[in-house]
Parts: sequence; C-alpha cells; structure tokens
Amino acid sequence: MSTSTIMARPVDTAPAAAAPPLAANGKETADVRVSVIVPIFNLGGEVAGMHQDLRHGLESYCRNFEIIFVDDASTDHTWRELEKIARQDACVKLIRMRSSFGETSALDAGLKHATGQRIVFAAARVRVNLRSLPRLLAKMDQGHDLVVGWRTPRKDSGLNRLVSRCFNWLVQRFGHLQLHDINSSVIATSREVLDNIIFYGDLNIFIPVLAARKGYRVTEEQVEQRAGSFRQSRYISEYIQRLLDIVAVIFLTKYSKKPLHFLGFFGFVFALAGAGMSLYLFIYRLFGFGAIAGRPLLLLGVLLLVIGLQMISIGLIGEMITYTHAREQKEYNIETVVGA
Amino acid sequence: MATTTEKIYCSVVIPVMNEEENVPLLHRALTQALQPWGRSYEIIIVDDGSSDRTFPLLRELARQDPHLRVVKFRGNFGQSAAMAAGFDHARGEVVVTMDGDLQNDPLDIPRVAAKLEEGYDIVSGWRKHRKDKLIIRKVPSRIANRLVRKTTRVDLHDTGCSLKAYRAEVVHKIRLYGEMHRFIPALARIEGARISEMVVNHHERQFGRSKYNITRTFRVIMDLMTLNLLLKYLTRPLHFFGALTVFFNGLGLAALVALLLDWRRNQVGSDELNVLMAVVFLLFAAGINFLLYGLIANSVVGTGQKRDERLYEYKYYHGTAG
Repeated sequence: MSTSTIMARPVDTAPAAAAPPLAANGKETADVRVSVIVPIFNLGGEVAGMHQDLRHGLESYCRNFEIIFVDDASTDHTWRELEKIARQDACVKLIRMRSSFGETSALDAGLKHATGQRIVFAAARVRVNLRSLPRLLAKMDQGHDLVVGWRTPRKDSGLNRLVSRCFNWLVQRFGHLQLHDINSSVIATSREVLDNIIFYGDLNIFIPVLAARKGYRVTEEQVEQRAGSFRQSRYISEYIQRLLDIVAVIFLTKYSKKPLHFLGFFGFVFALAGAGMSLYLFIYRLFGFGAIAGRPLLLLGVLLLVIGLQMISIGLIGEMITYTHAREQKEYNIETVVGA
Repeated sequence: MATTTEKIYCSVVIPVMNEEENVPLLHRALTQALQPWGRSYEIIIVDDGSSDRTFPLLRELARQDPHLRVVKFRGNFGQSAAMAAGFDHARGEVVVTMDGDLQNDPLDIPRVAAKLEEGYDIVSGWRKHRKDKLIIRKVPSRIANRLVRKTTRVDLHDTGCSLKAYRAEVVHKIRLYGEMHRFIPALARIEGARISEMVVNHHERQFGRSKYNITRTFRVIMDLMTLNLLLKYLTRPLHFFGALTVFFNGLGLAALVALLLDWRRNQVGSDELNVLMAVVFLLFAAGINFLLYGLIANSVVGTGQKRDERLYEYKYYHGTAG
C-alpha cells in the first residue's frame, strides 16, 4: 500500500475527538467548517459561474466554509480566471497541479489543504448544479456519515447513462450498497471517514462502497444535473479500467486480509477438476483401454491442475504478505469506547 | 492506550454480538467471580455491531462499573476483528478471552491465570464435558480438533474453546486477522509461544442463538493451510514452493524420457507427439513458475518479518535478566 496517494490513518486514534459534532438536531452545523473541493480541467470562462453557484448555495447553509479549486493543469485560461476569483473572495483557495494527475490526486491535494471537518467533493466534470450541494450537507446533519449525489434527471449521453447503469448494478451487486448513482463523483462526508478508508489510483469513485464497508452510514440525495459541453462519452479503455477497478474493490474490501479464501476456492475447483481428468486418463492408459497421447483431455487436465495449484500458491503468497506486511492495518473501525 | 497509572493484572476480553439477554447476567457473573479474587482487573467487551439493545445495556453497565470498558464497532467486522480490538485495548499483564454467551464459567478465570503463572505463554481451556446438545456440533468439533492438531502441531484437545489466558506479550505480538481467532494458539506458536491447557467448566446456552454454521469448513481448511505454511516455512518459503518445482520438473522430465523412448520405438504419431510435448512443456513451465513464486515469497518474508521480534527472544532476555 506504499504507492497509495491517500493513506488511512490508524483507526483507533481517538475517533470521538476527530468526529464532527453529531448534529442530529441540525443546530450545530454553523460551527462545523465545510471544505468544498472542486477539481477543474479546462473550463475557462465557466469557473466564474461555478463559483457564484457554489457561494450562493453554501451561504444559504452555513457561514463557515471554504472553496478549494484544484486546477488539474488546465491548458487554457482557467488558471487566470481562478486567480481573478481568489483575489476577490477570501474563502477561495487555489491549487494548481504541475500536470494532469486525475481526480483522485486532485481530491488528495484538496484534502491536504482543507481545514474543514466536513468535506464536499464535487468534480466539475459531471456538471451538477452546485447550488444543490447544501442538500447533501443537510442530509449529513440527519446523522449520515456520507451522502452521495444522485444525478437526476441525467442530462448526459445515452451511452454514458447506460454504462453508468451497468456500473451501478455491478457495484450494488457486489458492494451491497443500494444507491442509484454510486459513481457520481459528488459526495459529502466528514474528514474522519476519509481518514479511515484506503483509496488510491482511480478508486475514489468507490469511496461510498469503502465507507459502507467500514461501517459508516451511507445514503444518497438528489442533485440536479446540467446539460453542458462535457465530453459525451468515454473511451473503451476507460470502461475496461473501471471493470478492473471493480475487481480491485471487491478484493480490497473482502479479501485483502484473507486472499487464500478467495483464490483458494477457485484454485481447489480447478486443481480437483484437473486432477480428476488426469487420474481418469492415467487409469485408462494403465489398464490398457487405449492410447491417451492424442487426447486433448490430457492437456486440459494437466493445465487445470497447474492453474489450480498456481492460484493456491498465489493465495498463499498473499497470506504471507498479509502476515508479514499488513500488521498495522486494522480490520475494525471503532465508533466509541465507553468506560475507564 | 494505557492511560491509567495503576497497574492492571488481568484483562478479560469478550466479543459480543446481539446478546442482550446475556449481557447483564454476564457482567454480574464476571463481577462475582473477579471481585473476591483480590487482583486488579478490567473487563473489555467488544460490541461487534449488535443491532439489538446490547450496546445501550453495556453503556449503562460501564457507567456503574469502573472495571468495564466497552468498545463499540461501527459495523459487524467479525470475531477476529473484535478479538484484535479487545487485545489492542487490554492493559493487563494477563489477558483472558471468553465467550459472551455464558457458556464459559467466569470462575475459571483465576484458575487459568494461575496456571499461566506456572510459566506458560498461553493456557487454553478444555471443555472436557461439553454441554452442547447437538451431535452436529460435537462430532465436527472432534474431527476439526484432530485436523488442527495435525496441521498446526499445537497439541490441544479443544482448540475451539474460547476461554484462554495469554501473557500480555503474546496478544500484543500475534497478528490476528481474517478469521484467525480460531487459531490464536497456532498463530502464537509461530512466534514461539509455550502452550498448555486445563479443564474448564462448560454450561448450556440459556439465551440467544449460536452464530455457528457449518459452511465455514472450507475457510477453516484454507486457514489451516496458511498456518501450516507460516509455521513450517515462514522463514524459508522457497523450500515449500521449491518442493513443487522439484515435483513438476521431475514429472516433466519423466514424461520427456518416456516420450523419447516411445518415439525411438516409433510408437508415437506426429499428432500424439504434439499433445505429449505440450504436456511436457507445461509441466516444465509450471515447475519454473513455482520456483519464481518461492523467490517472491522469500523476498516478501525477507522484507517483512523481523526474527528478533519473536517471543523466544523475550524468553531469552527474561531468563538472563534473572
């Protein structure tokens, strides 16, 4: 996990102290600082309007907030526009990446400079109406730990929507999280939640899944999506990467501490099937029923046996890695400790 | 995590999940057993994401009893995680674990702790007269115990008994993860622990439901494989994978020799030759792969495991210090 851009801190460090005031009554929100992180790439003249919307929405909700724009190395005049805004508005912080590192890195950079206990993450790419962000925060006041923005009605291309639907179905299936729009890239949560989950690479879209797995209360809230000039569809390679990410997340959430339980199962099935075929041919040949050399089953049997044993071996190596390297990684997440 | 200056002798760690009827009784029984003992103690109950009234009850009890600490999980993370959390919060010189379902007898706690004092790192309870009605629980348990004894080389009659006492070094040394709470003695054995056992009482379950189910068998077998590997080959995994290399390369070589002999006698057609050669190549490739796994495993272990952190080193230092 040394390559991760965002590392989880030890889970057991006084969670009660780090947690935001549990504003179940909604009265304490004025004191909780909200940091909004908006990654931006080549939006030029549109940033002024975004800033207006954001301010407008946030002011109606609380007075203690900051807006962090992360410019992911835009190549147009976005940065100049942002500087103009920052000169006029003391609540705005700007971060400029040296080159494009993607959304997860932008979130990480924003988080490092955020001072709030509440973090709102809204990728400009998905074009939600930024005035509706406080709705997510209001939902947090009701006692939820993480609120996902549900873009509705969807305004982007049919292909995007179809892929999004497939993706949501897959994540619902394996992540056991009943949300409509898991990959909306619009979330509101607390710093504590982000500190307690491990994400890296492109896994930021799975933050809700990872948080739910850690026992946090995850819910969703509708946000309005605007039609815009955003890219109409993604590249095939991106879809493939998303699929691989799902595999990574399933593994990360369920089996990272017991890889053999996952690999061993398939390994044993393959190895037993392979051993069975090989044994059958062995007996067949031994008792002189005929030649086995020309039979493809021989190759399949040996191949399955080998693949099965290799899966088990890799599972065992995974167990050794877990045992020798992942000691500090806690498998639990404490809500409170009561008593002396 | 130790915040108080007062030294605690015994920490009792109990993971619970949905045991609302048992919790008050458990607390009373523990207090009745531990108060007259005359040694400082703490009770650490880990609530593994209960959905009933277990936690409110525990919180109330903790308010009244300074000996009780309650660790509440955000969700259900499993018994190993609950044990690990309990161990992380334990401050005693001796840590005793037991079930929250009242099947273990708190009166046994001073007894196992005393046995521990005789110079063991772990004392495991042995439910010689098990009070589980169902034959489907006793028989699998007996088979499992034999299997566990064989593979882990930890000679206990009853590994499944939750009532166990540990020296503090042991619980802070072992790496409890996955579903390994079942095999804590074996995990501790990897670190060099001295293990003993003693007969303890066992009662029938009065309230609540057992969370046991038989589908765990496969995962238990997987965990046993892991433990076997860790126990025997943790410092030299190449020997484990190397054996597979020798096996597959030997098989490949034998197949090649047989094939060449047949071929010289003109008994093999060209189609057959193709298939057989593929098998030979496959076997060789597999053998080399296992060799590579062994090398990777060696470097994984070499970069992670610090041998001088093992328990026998502790013993050595204790011994020479007097």
